[in-house]
Amino acid sequence: MEPEITSLESLMSDCPEDKDMREMASEELAEAFEEEKRLFHSLLKLLLPKDEADERDCILEVRAGTGGEEASLFAMDIFKMYEKYSQKKGWRFEIIDIMETDLKGYKEASGTVSGCGAYGKLKFESGIHRVQRVPVTEKSGRVHTSAVSVAILPQADEVDVQVRNEDLRVDTYRSGGSGGQSVNTTNSAVRITHIPTGIAVAIQDERSQHMNKAKALKVLRARLYEIERSRLHMNRSKLRSEQIGSGDRSERIRTYNFPQGRVTDHRVGITHHAIEDIMEGESLDVFIDALLLQEEMDAIATFSA
Amino acid sequence: MIYRLKLPILSASSSCLRRRRLSFYSTTAATASSFASHLSPPLKPQTPLFLRPLSHSTSPSSLLSFRQWAESLARSYAADLSIDGGPSASELIRELSWLLQDATFQAGETMLLRTDLQDLYCLWMQRIEARRPFQYIVGCEHWRDLVLAVREGVLIPRPETEELVDLVAGVEGFKDGLWADLGTGSGAIAIGIGRILGENGRVVATDLSEAAVEVARFNVGRYKLEDKVEIRQGHWFEPLQDLHGKLSGLVSNPPYIPSSHIPGLQAEVGKHEPSLALDGGMNGMDHLLHLCDGLISALKPGGFFAFETNGDKQSEYIVDFISSQGSNTFHDMRIVADFAGVRRFVTGYCQ
Repeated sequence: MEPEITSLESLMSDCPEDKDMREMASEELAEAFEEEKRLFHSLLKLLLPKDEADERDCILEVRAGTGGEEASLFAMDIFKMYEKYSQKKGWRFEIIDIMETDLKGYKEASGTVSGCGAYGKLKFESGIHRVQRVPVTEKSGRVHTSAVSVAILPQADEVDVQVRNEDLRVDTYRSGGSGGQSVNTTNSAVRITHIPTGIAVAIQDERSQHMNKAKALKVLRARLYEIERSRLHMNRSKLRSEQIGSGDRSERIRTYNFPQGRVTDHRVGITHHAIEDIMEGESLDVFIDALLLQEEMDAIATFSA
Repeated sequence: MIYRLKLPILSASSSCLRRRRLSFYSTTAATASSFASHLSPPLKPQTPLFLRPLSHSTSPSSLLSFRQWAESLARSYAADLSIDGGPSASELIRELSWLLQDATFQAGETMLLRTDLQDLYCLWMQRIEARRPFQYIVGCEHWRDLVLAVREGVLIPRPETEELVDLVAGVEGFKDGLWADLGTGSGAIAIGIGRILGENGRVVATDLSEAAVEVARFNVGRYKLEDKVEIRQGHWFEPLQDLHGKLSGLVSNPPYIPSSHIPGLQAEVGKHEPSLALDGGMNGMDHLLHLCDGLISALKPGGFFAFETNGDKQSEYIVDFISSQGSNTFHDMRIVADFAGVRRFVTGYCQ
């Protein structure tokens, strides 16, 4: 790049009276500077430490927070938003477990998203999503504010996280008595507790206990992996502490304001005015791309500092 | 007050009618009259619901009324059902969603069905009133990663028994062994083992009941395991005469409930599942002891066995019984607990 710039500069100084030539050279020079900047940027990007988890599949967990039944209904909307977004990306979306409320909202819901770079794209979605709208349950037409928390965990396998059988307590539905042939129950719910950390995962949606157990282990592994990752992350550097996507689940990241038809992401300060598109999984990339860009810029800033 | 069926299951459709005239929900009253003129023949018991063609249809709103009616019924009867250890309201409602999952398919504005809507009403009535097990209603049971056909006359495989397959998978060199599953019922254990065997491994499974043999063969075929799993009809070891002393392992979940406990069982089990697969005689161990007696001649040297028992005391008794046959006949005898902590399985190796 530099020889080209030098030769263009000398060309400009060599022919001060040829106006056309000078204009052409100056245009090309501007382009060359742009190109130089772009190359410098991508070079930096290559040098940046990559998160190998970005390429992985991920687990999505949505929980209704403050706001009672309305929060559960919004948790369902958010869960379905990610389902639609995943389908549009060509990813596979599979429900792990849903705990419904009486009004068919979701108290808790989890799913796996499998596809190229799923975690890398969705990781910024972790945090508190706030909703402002008139709940269907509200007769006076008053706008309520409720919240839903979202967690995105990279998927982990046996190699990433070794879970010892002795560290697990498996609880299943038991009617008491002898069990076995004496009992016929379709309740195949399983709760697995990782004793050292106290993390418990309960799965009830599958019709066989074996499958519920397999799913619960999958989620448990992802959670343990996430703990290990954030521990490493904290140790690695303080520099990255201001970065977005730190996975702090108590951070309020976004507000969905239905009366005004807008969605605002508080981290990048972007407001999108077609809330329906967002809920249909259409325009989520508006935020995700901005967040990815910001992550990149932050990383470059800390890297070159 | 629960209206108890005195008639056998196949005539339950008539009880549906009676029940539905008493129905307190107006949504169902409307369909009740049309129901009478459309009495369908009893369901073919062989094909599980989820495998039948989508040859019926209805509107989403009719299906919604069915769901609402079924939920109300479940809620109003659940307290009565729980007296003998039957399902709770939330368990019934989950069963309802599984029933709909197996029976319906949404195609735009139409709901396609694998059986007609009246049958769904009837099936749910059988579930709640007659306590017909959910697995017989839909004709299948999800077990391990399998979906097995089941029907009246065949024991519904239990979640505890899933572990028997894991016990086999823990045996060195199991993949290329010749295995036997005695009293296979739906074929669950045999198929579970068959699926994890290597190229040379095989399972021979036996059952006395013709219904069980038929269902087990159906399930083996559905998982395309005909080359690996062979089903033979007969009493315990009898169909295995040609394999004497050649088995690398033998597993069984024989009937082990003491006869005196049978009348107190929850209705789903006691009134609907085959006593042939449940009743283990006076102390519950008639068949277990018979199996223990046959072990030595059936297994090859070093062969493995695993039995499911009624738990704790039975397991201890079986270990004592086998040990008493001679100190050097069996080794590494273990009692293995199930997920609920009941010492459920007895395993060991032949010398």
